[in-house]
Amino acid sequence: MKSLTMTMLLALACLFSTEAHAGWQDKLQNLMNPESKEGKILSGATQVVSSSQEMTYATERTVGQSLALESMQRFGKPVPNEALQKYVNLVGNAVARNSRRSTIPYQFVVLDSPVRNAFAAPGGMIFVSRGLLDVVENEAELAAVLAHEVGHVAEKHALKSIRRAQFLQGVGTISAATMKGSEGKKFESMIGDLQSTLFDKGLDQGMEYEADLAALETTYRTGYDPAAMITVLQKLKKLEASDSGKGSWFSTHPPLDERIARLSSRLEKYPDHVSLAKVPARFAKTVKTTKKQK
Amino acid sequence: MKKTIVALLLLALAAAPALGAEKRWVVSEGTALKAEQSVTAASVAELPVGAELTVVEGAGRWLKVRSANGKEGWVYAGRVSDTAPVAEVGGGDGLFGDSTQKSQINTAKADSARSIRGLSPEVAQYAKQRGTPESLKKELDKILSRKVSDKELRTFLKEGKIGEYAQ
Repeated sequence: MKSLTMTMLLALACLFSTEAHAGWQDKLQNLMNPESKEGKILSGATQVVSSSQEMTYATERTVGQSLALESMQRFGKPVPNEALQKYVNLVGNAVARNSRRSTIPYQFVVLDSPVRNAFAAPGGMIFVSRGLLDVVENEAELAAVLAHEVGHVAEKHALKSIRRAQFLQGVGTISAATMKGSEGKKFESMIGDLQSTLFDKGLDQGMEYEADLAALETTYRTGYDPAAMITVLQKLKKLEASDSGKGSWFSTHPPLDERIARLSSRLEKYPDHVSLAKVPARFAKTVKTTKKQK
Repeated sequence: MKKTIVALLLLALAAAPALGAEKRWVVSEGTALKAEQSVTAASVAELPVGAELTVVEGAGRWLKVRSANGKEGWVYAGRVSDTAPVAEVGGGDGLFGDSTQKSQINTAKADSARSIRGLSPEVAQYAKQRGTPESLKKELDKILSRKVSDKELRTFLKEGKIGEYAQ
């Protein structure tokens, strides 16, 4: 027993001693060097990790834009109101630039659809429906919904979901010329897989919870009250019974009660959240006026 | 025996502060190191996304930090994170390619300049094959042309009294 205690203490001491720590750091550094022994071991291990991690940003953007065309076919065109679109872009970019992936350009679009939904295409194009916007009551709530979608883009959730697509097993890049051939067919099929994942089946529940927590963190960092993510879900919960559900946040996301519970327990991390911005007046002025015009 | 245990524990405790130095990474675009805890204070240095900082003091909304080249100043807590930002993959580099994070970010910027020119040739070809209506291609062009400048965003946050601009 004594020797066991000693072993444990020795292990602890090694872990905490600066010298040993430096050695451990060296090994970690080596992991990043593909030529090192550690790097080669890791390289083998990461090959089974999703190919999406190797997709270039340019290809990711092409995937996103192609998906954007399909989503407008399905849900309708953007609401023809430039002031509204600009406002949603300002709120969205405010949170996106404080997200874990802040250096890529983001575009936010309000689609003219009554289905209450929001989704993110790879590369940074984010869509929110007029139906979901109707439920939102202040700028912080809009920021939370958009930050949830930014979270999906940042973590490349959509691409990770379709990592078995044939296109990603091959070269994984596309040009206008290769789009015409067999690579193009694989590309089209992958866009089909993405539509089915994002619009019908939904992403993995774990990804949704991850995006919810990212929304809390990003809205908080930007200066919006992160509790807005919870209040918007509570509003959706009230509407759940009367909603047909098809294609909405209800059908493609985990149960609202569970999301609300997980978010509520994480809110403790932000004790000063109540003092942060909600900005109901500017939201009402821009979004509610638009509703009246319609 | 007891002495050995105590010595080992002391060793562990002594080494702890070396590990305890809190690190933060810049996650937001346009972050500056400020001379004081205010958005209107003079900038000591510009901090690129991905820059590693050591926390000197502070909790709450402003942190006193030291940059890698030894400059000290204040940074708004919302602009940094306790985890590094996502690195972009440019060129043909994989996750463990030999590009540095900075060059990967630069690649993303170069790509973004390309993407904001409107529908890319690849997407135009995709639309052709799919028989996408011309009107939807125009809508996508309009979406891609909508840009938010840093100045517009600062004004927007200031007017809404959000984050660094809260009173």
